[in-house]
Amino acid sequence: MEYVKVKFPTRRLVYIDEEENGYTNEVLRVEAGTHMFALGNRANFHPASRKVAVQDTTVLEPLEIPFYRKDGE
Amino acid sequence: MRCARCAVLGGVMVLAACASSAPGNPPLEKYTPEAGYRFERLERGENSDELFVIVTFSGGGTRAAALAYGVLEALRDATIEWQGRRGALLDEVDVISSISGGSFPAAYYALRGSAIFDEFPERFLYRPVQSDLVKLVFYPSNWLKLAAPAYGRSDLAAEFYQREVFDGATYADVIARNRRPFVILNATDMTTGAQFPFIQDQFDLMCADLAGVPLGRAAAASSAFPGGLTPLTFRNYAGVCQYRQPAWVRLAAEDHASRVNPRRTARAENRLSLAAEGPARPYIHLTDGGVADNIGLRGPLEAIVSTNHPWSVLQLMNRQRVSKLVVIVVNAAAEPETSRDRSAGVPGLIDTLTTAATVPLDNYSFDTVELLSKTMNEFNSEARLVEGCNRLSAGKGEQCALNLPAPYKVDLYPIQVAFEYIASREERTWFKNLPTTFTLPRDSVDRLRAIGRQLLREDPQFQNLLKALNGCLPAAGSAC
Repeated sequence: MEYVKVKFPTRRLVYIDEEENGYTNEVLRVEAGTHMFALGNRANFHPASRKVAVQDTTVLEPLEIPFYRKDGE
Repeated sequence: MRCARCAVLGGVMVLAACASSAPGNPPLEKYTPEAGYRFERLERGENSDELFVIVTFSGGGTRAAALAYGVLEALRDATIEWQGRRGALLDEVDVISSISGGSFPAAYYALRGSAIFDEFPERFLYRPVQSDLVKLVFYPSNWLKLAAPAYGRSDLAAEFYQREVFDGATYADVIARNRRPFVILNATDMTTGAQFPFIQDQFDLMCADLAGVPLGRAAAASSAFPGGLTPLTFRNYAGVCQYRQPAWVRLAAEDHASRVNPRRTARAENRLSLAAEGPARPYIHLTDGGVADNIGLRGPLEAIVSTNHPWSVLQLMNRQRVSKLVVIVVNAAAEPETSRDRSAGVPGLIDTLTTAATVPLDNYSFDTVELLSKTMNEFNSEARLVEGCNRLSAGKGEQCALNLPAPYKVDLYPIQVAFEYIASREERTWFKNLPTTFTLPRDSVDRLRAIGRQLLREDPQFQNLLKALNGCLPAAGSAC
């Protein structure tokens, strides 16, 4: 089992491999391997998605995957 | 004159071959993720996701079917308090995954719901199915069918189950019921050795419509015990329905070289192989589900540890939709006594081949159950680790408090119903020596039904579950 935390200033739905999987700023569980991360609701974030190889994480140190607000929004 | 007779006979055989050679799975006109037999499409009704119950039924002929049926009866009689109402634990079962003999009660429950308790014992459990099947082979009318290259003894069995057990029902009838549990009959893809679940997600890969598949054929594929029964052939129409693989498949296939998760990559490559246009494999040959996994637990385990699964429980956990996860493994594994070691004689060919065929399956089943425990322990230990770190750091003073966030916590209940947990050695030996056949004496079936209930009641995790849910499962003939 691997652990990730998708970071964003506000609470947003997290999509992993195009499927709903919990919310930003929470520790989420995923299988090891390459996954595509994106956020739900409005598209006022960047990058549009992040392709990340997830491995060798621990529950104490989840892999942090940041997303940012688009300027001016 | 003789030539004319030969020609007529030949013609009849060709006609029979033609008439009998069409595999029973129609093509899918257009891939439609919003339709078909899929977990997320089934109405939940009063069945909550928060209490998520998975039940697996192993293979083992009528022995497995009767044990599974006994557990279904017990789940019907087990009452719980959940979300402000009192009801049967059976009504909270979300998924049933079955193999071989266990696929008969599973499929029947998917089709008929609680009517199974009035109909199934006489229709299947007490019936001499084995001898009925053998008789079919001796009917001259069936000889012509069996002469066709794409028609085997399992096709005869499938027609028999379809007529005598499932009343002609197809998956369209199961879809029309539109309610949980999501029942997954499992066979094995002979070429890849992968588990082949009878769900639309799997049939999408072949551009085939599960709705048109007879339940008897699915049960026959799941229970096509190698040797005694032949594999069943299904058509692969891949490439005709505009199918689109889920996003994870390409990503996992790209991980092949890095070997970061070979199991996930293998799942992706298996999907790609089945869906390869052409199609690359126009016919798929399915044999007994027990060849890939004789307890039906591998699929549920994937669903628990992967977000890339057609009915991912991990996704539901990440979305904080599941608070209690119950996995009930009903395992009818036998362990027949042998006199082999009382003699210096070299074991014969049949004995040796049977051992070679069954021992790896038994060992794999053992590892699969171990994997369930390991997976459950992993979930529990992650929560304990975070709680422990937070407690230790907080003990050093407020300024040292870490407040580490933990993944969403789920209460886990791995429950096992297996003969090895029968306390009495004599009774345990009796059950472990029941043969794998589709006919058992009525009193053996009754004892299997009763022991299923008893083993469920006695499982420590089941008792914890009942305690947590203020529940009760009375002994047979008693009340709570």
